[in-house]
Amino acid sequence: MSLTVEHVQLVLGESNQRVTVLDDVSFNVKPSSLTAVVGPSGAGKSSLLAVCGGLRTPTGGSVSIDGVVISDLTPAARTRIRRDQIGFVFQQSNLVPALTAIDQLLLLVHLQGRRPTKVDRQRALALLDEVGIANLMDRRPNQLSGGEQQRVGIARALMTSPDILLVDEPTSMLDQVRGQQIVELLATECREHRVATLMVTHDHSMLESATEVLNIVDGRLSVARSANREKLL
Amino acid sequence: MFIALRDLTFAKGRFLLMATVVALIAFLLTILSGLSTGLIRNNISALMALDISHIAFEYNDKPSYRNSMVDREMWEGWREHPSVIDTQPLGHTMFNARTKDDLPLNEVVLWGIEPGSFLEPAVNRGEQLGRLENGVVIASKLVEKGIDIGDVLILDRVLTELEVIGVTDEHYIGHVPVIYTLLPKWQEATYGPPGGPPPGEKLPSILFDYASVIALQIKPDTLPGELQTTDEDLGTITIDKTAAYEASTGYVEEVRTVQMIQAFLFVISAVVMGAFFSVWTLQRTKEIGLVKALGASNIYLLKDSLGQVLLLMIGATVIGTLAAIQVGRLMEGSGFPYLLVPETVMASAVMLIIAGLFGSALSLRLIMKIDPIVALGREQ
Repeated sequence: MSLTVEHVQLVLGESNQRVTVLDDVSFNVKPSSLTAVVGPSGAGKSSLLAVCGGLRTPTGGSVSIDGVVISDLTPAARTRIRRDQIGFVFQQSNLVPALTAIDQLLLLVHLQGRRPTKVDRQRALALLDEVGIANLMDRRPNQLSGGEQQRVGIARALMTSPDILLVDEPTSMLDQVRGQQIVELLATECREHRVATLMVTHDHSMLESATEVLNIVDGRLSVARSANREKLL
Repeated sequence: MFIALRDLTFAKGRFLLMATVVALIAFLLTILSGLSTGLIRNNISALMALDISHIAFEYNDKPSYRNSMVDREMWEGWREHPSVIDTQPLGHTMFNARTKDDLPLNEVVLWGIEPGSFLEPAVNRGEQLGRLENGVVIASKLVEKGIDIGDVLILDRVLTELEVIGVTDEHYIGHVPVIYTLLPKWQEATYGPPGGPPPGEKLPSILFDYASVIALQIKPDTLPGELQTTDEDLGTITIDKTAAYEASTGYVEEVRTVQMIQAFLFVISAVVMGAFFSVWTLQRTKEIGLVKALGASNIYLLKDSLGQVLLLMIGATVIGTLAAIQVGRLMEGSGFPYLLVPETVMASAVMLIIAGLFGSALSLRLIMKIDPIVALGREQ
């Protein structure tokens, strides 16, 4: 399933304080591809992610997942889409403080209204193993390093086998080496799980693993590098 | 409860502190409940023991046992009322008394009743009223003061001598133990000259036409209007048994004071819980936003939070209440007016839990208002 963004506009604020955060943004993210959106702070990267994840309703245009326009859905329906079809990887520390690493993953099963089964636990363990921290499954966020927390975040995002993965500044709190490892891990997981991945980052050094790179400045999008790796800008 | 249960163990210090506060409130409420019931028993147990439905007082805006005086015409008038099953005059006077050996008893309330009537108390020891003209059945509290069957009591001022012939339960009115005697003896002590009639003389018969109130057994389906007409005709005011408790000295003031303290404790509980869970929710704004962004519905989060509040409230209330029950047992045996009734204890515990839930409703509103966008590091 792919993520399609068509002519999205997002205007925030009222009357003379209105700010156009996203301006006629269109792009498509296909399964197994990792699309990176780069741009300076305040360019609209996170707003784009919020719109794609159904956390913000665009002022104009549409966001659809496999043809279903999520921007037209009710808040409750968008919550269900987020729960079942979208995986989020947030910046570091966006884990629930009271939950252990494995519980962070099992929480998503619980959100679906199911009591986690042995199979769910095995899947959670397998995902933690994939990201290299199965041995830390009983640790809470405050007992994990920044890189380890980010790995938990990635495993959690994959727990419900989402169609779309939305990644917000995954390396912002990590050093260069660990940041690179995380992005490579994301790219691998994205290919192996056939997930359409959209990653926003301000770190240009993390773009090697991306299938396509989009540049965003003042809410306007341009292609920095296309899917066939031909550099346009 | 997936997150709620883990929160309880993760932030156990904070929850333990909160649980301690709730447990202390539950403890205080239970102790107050025991004191309240104890005070009520200590004030109106004699009235509670009466097998009556209503009491007719001499007409007064604020009827009281002390100031009421009814006459024969009134109680005979009530006896003829079609809704009355039975009726009895009841004499009520407070006296200071002492034993013949000069052991002071302080205050006692002398109740004059007809022997064999529905007003006569069950006797635990000794005999019923009737055999001796000046026999009295005393409340068991007086036995603790050293009085027993066969002792002679002397009422101060009127110098009436009464012989103890039986002992009944702990019967009080206005925190004063009740002693029961025959209505004529009560009439003699209340209206007659000190020391009784001169030798060889009788008291005027008119003295025996008066009592304090009229105890009534009225058919359950009687409408209030049916009693009102007779009240107006006879110059009485009839109130039901529960309302008649309020005619006992200090009863209303005591009950209201305790109820006010209990109400304050409920309010304190609601405020404390509201404040705690509001601060707790505000501290977790980003976490709640994150869980919402991951796909949690408001209903899911409300259930989770409500479960947490309930668990905390029930656990702490049970601990506080059980501790108070233990302390209460010691108080019951130490002469305090203290009585724990399971229904009352349960009711105040349930009320406390409801107050806690009510208080935490504010935090539930906060949860609903949290925008999942905060998970992306944005302000709401």
